[in-house]
Amino acid sequence: MAQATAELKQLYFQMLRIRRIEEAIAERYQQQEMRCPTHLCIGEEAIAVGVSAHLTPQDKVFSNHRGHGHYLAKGGDLRRLLAELYGFAEGCCGGRGGSMHLTDLAAGFIASTPIVGGTVPLAGGYAWAEQMKKSGAAQGCASVAGGTTPWMEEVERSRRPEPRTPEATNVVVVFFGDGCFEEGVMHETMNFAALKKLPLLFVCENNQYSVMTPLTERQPERDIYKIAAAHGLQAVSGDGNQVDQVYAMAQTAVANARAGQGPQFLELHTHRWPEHCGPNEDDELGYRSPGELNGWKQRCPLLQTRQFLLESRLSNESELAEMERVLADEIEQAFQWSLRGNRPSIDSMRHHLYA
Amino acid sequence: MRNVTMMSYGEAIREALDDGLATYPEMILIGEGVSDPKTVFATTQGLREKYGAERVLDMPLAENGMTGICIGAALGGMRPVLVHQRIDFALLSVDQLVNNAAKWRYMFDGQQQVPLVIRVIIGRGWGQGPQHSQSLQAMFAQVPGLKVVMPTTAGDAYHSMLDAIADNNPVLFIEHRWLHHIKGEVDKNRSPSALNGAALLRQGGDITLAAFSHMTIEALKAAAVLAKHGIDAEVLDMRCLTPLDVDSVARSIDKTGLLLVADCAPEIASMAHNLLSKLFQSHGQRLKQPPRLIAYPNHPVPTSHFMANHYYPGAEEIAVTVLEMLNKQPLKQTVKMELQSDLARDLPDRSFTGPF
Repeated sequence: MAQATAELKQLYFQMLRIRRIEEAIAERYQQQEMRCPTHLCIGEEAIAVGVSAHLTPQDKVFSNHRGHGHYLAKGGDLRRLLAELYGFAEGCCGGRGGSMHLTDLAAGFIASTPIVGGTVPLAGGYAWAEQMKKSGAAQGCASVAGGTTPWMEEVERSRRPEPRTPEATNVVVVFFGDGCFEEGVMHETMNFAALKKLPLLFVCENNQYSVMTPLTERQPERDIYKIAAAHGLQAVSGDGNQVDQVYAMAQTAVANARAGQGPQFLELHTHRWPEHCGPNEDDELGYRSPGELNGWKQRCPLLQTRQFLLESRLSNESELAEMERVLADEIEQAFQWSLRGNRPSIDSMRHHLYA
Repeated sequence: MRNVTMMSYGEAIREALDDGLATYPEMILIGEGVSDPKTVFATTQGLREKYGAERVLDMPLAENGMTGICIGAALGGMRPVLVHQRIDFALLSVDQLVNNAAKWRYMFDGQQQVPLVIRVIIGRGWGQGPQHSQSLQAMFAQVPGLKVVMPTTAGDAYHSMLDAIADNNPVLFIEHRWLHHIKGEVDKNRSPSALNGAALLRQGGDITLAAFSHMTIEALKAAAVLAKHGIDAEVLDMRCLTPLDVDSVARSIDKTGLLLVADCAPEIASMAHNLLSKLFQSHGQRLKQPPRLIAYPNHPVPTSHFMANHYYPGAEEIAVTVLEMLNKQPLKQTVKMELQSDLARDLPDRSFTGPF
């Protein structure tokens, strides 16, 4: 924690929040009421938190099937995430998406989708639109938003308002994994982003596994970030389990993208603790080397930060216990809110196919 | 007030793109060749000079990625028109079109939408062969969430292109290359077609000819010759594939009782099956005899014109089939003679020197 900052306590709180929410989802997932494929991000929290700490609500985020952490770190509404998992009308997609399709436009979280690589070019296109709006090539354009409902508006109003500075360039961030790096659209998007010098940050969460297939069976021995660099991106790699390091790397990358230096690329090494999809651990399946998961648990992003906060006296046990209480309360209330949700009407199933 | 200009179908598309760029500051025109010296068969000519390289631009050879980038740009407030010179190349982008563009608004509960036009060109002949002249319109029309239009006349091309640009949904705009040179009236003051419905191009009480894209031209040719022999065919241009205007065909059958469908696609891949199945379900008893279908054979088209010349059906096959349906076989030889041309079937007209 050499790069500890005053923000570290806040970063820890955000990571802890995602961890406790994911654990609460895992616990209730067994009840068979959240019936949708759910990919938990336990073990990988530092990346979402360290990157999003530098983003405003006007900055945009695109994500993937393992998107809860990205959604929450960007300010996505917890209650509507949970309602979405339960399939209620109050869900962020009205129950049409489930865990793998999240959106919260007010928070600047545009979308997560589960076709690997699917959102990568969309992030590129969104960044291109931001660039054109900024340059005046397409003045007078607003993002095209669809309809809304009264309860949605109520939720939006409860958000913290952020003043928009017209001169600032909005940055777009896309989160993806090492498996996605093998997809064609990944490279097509990097090529175009570099060509157009887009205000775009690529964040590769390298957790070494595509479902259960290790990186060594899928890619030759070479660094992912160097391929990005060869595409003309400013690319660096680092420890995705040290939130201060992620924070520092993302600070530079976001600032560069905002300053018009073109697309940035972070390759961050991390590890997923639970099974690929679902609430359980699956170490008994034996696709990870013996001791691999435990090694990563020793390097838990929360544990490392917690130890540093205590050792450096930036925080203390009672303050950390207070964080736990605050979060337990928020999560319990969010579940209660979402469980009071309404079933989407059968009639509404056919709505919104066309504008 | 009518404001009529005679122009070719290709010129009408250029005109619509020009007017679209002038009307919508958020419109982008992008595609392989959009700004090269040949400007996609001259359909994007002069637009880069007029609207700048930021809005009218060529693109990397990355059809799927660039389709995704255009979807993302649409989400960000742009109105992209993405051009593929041949529909065959659009196959590379089916992931982004089907998984993202077509479903985005639905799966995000109407909170987001994708105003995007994908211009694709289909065609036939002149040695374009198995991978440069496919007709895949029905495949795309089977995807809920996409709109698919394939106008036949210059006037429809102009208005449906402007409609497609204004539409807040992803629209696949299909042009048959052989239509590009055909002139027609473009009335800019005409009320727009709103991407809807078939067009009644010729009235007649003896038989209904429902045709798609370039086959509409062939149907009109057949109808003109048949008329000389006292046979009045009604010709419907099925210019919009989603939703397919089954009702207009049904109304025509009410008059004629006979239906022939002509499509520029292999039989197995024809929209005609969709049309016929819907008609059977709702209006089956109104047909006096089973409908007939004129379409391409169920194999790819070879490049050699010696073979390709025998691959494509046209006005002759349509007219002969009509005579069979009306039990007027004795007229067959005369009508065939009148429709026969020394122009090879892999050429749209004598001026065409390819490629397309």
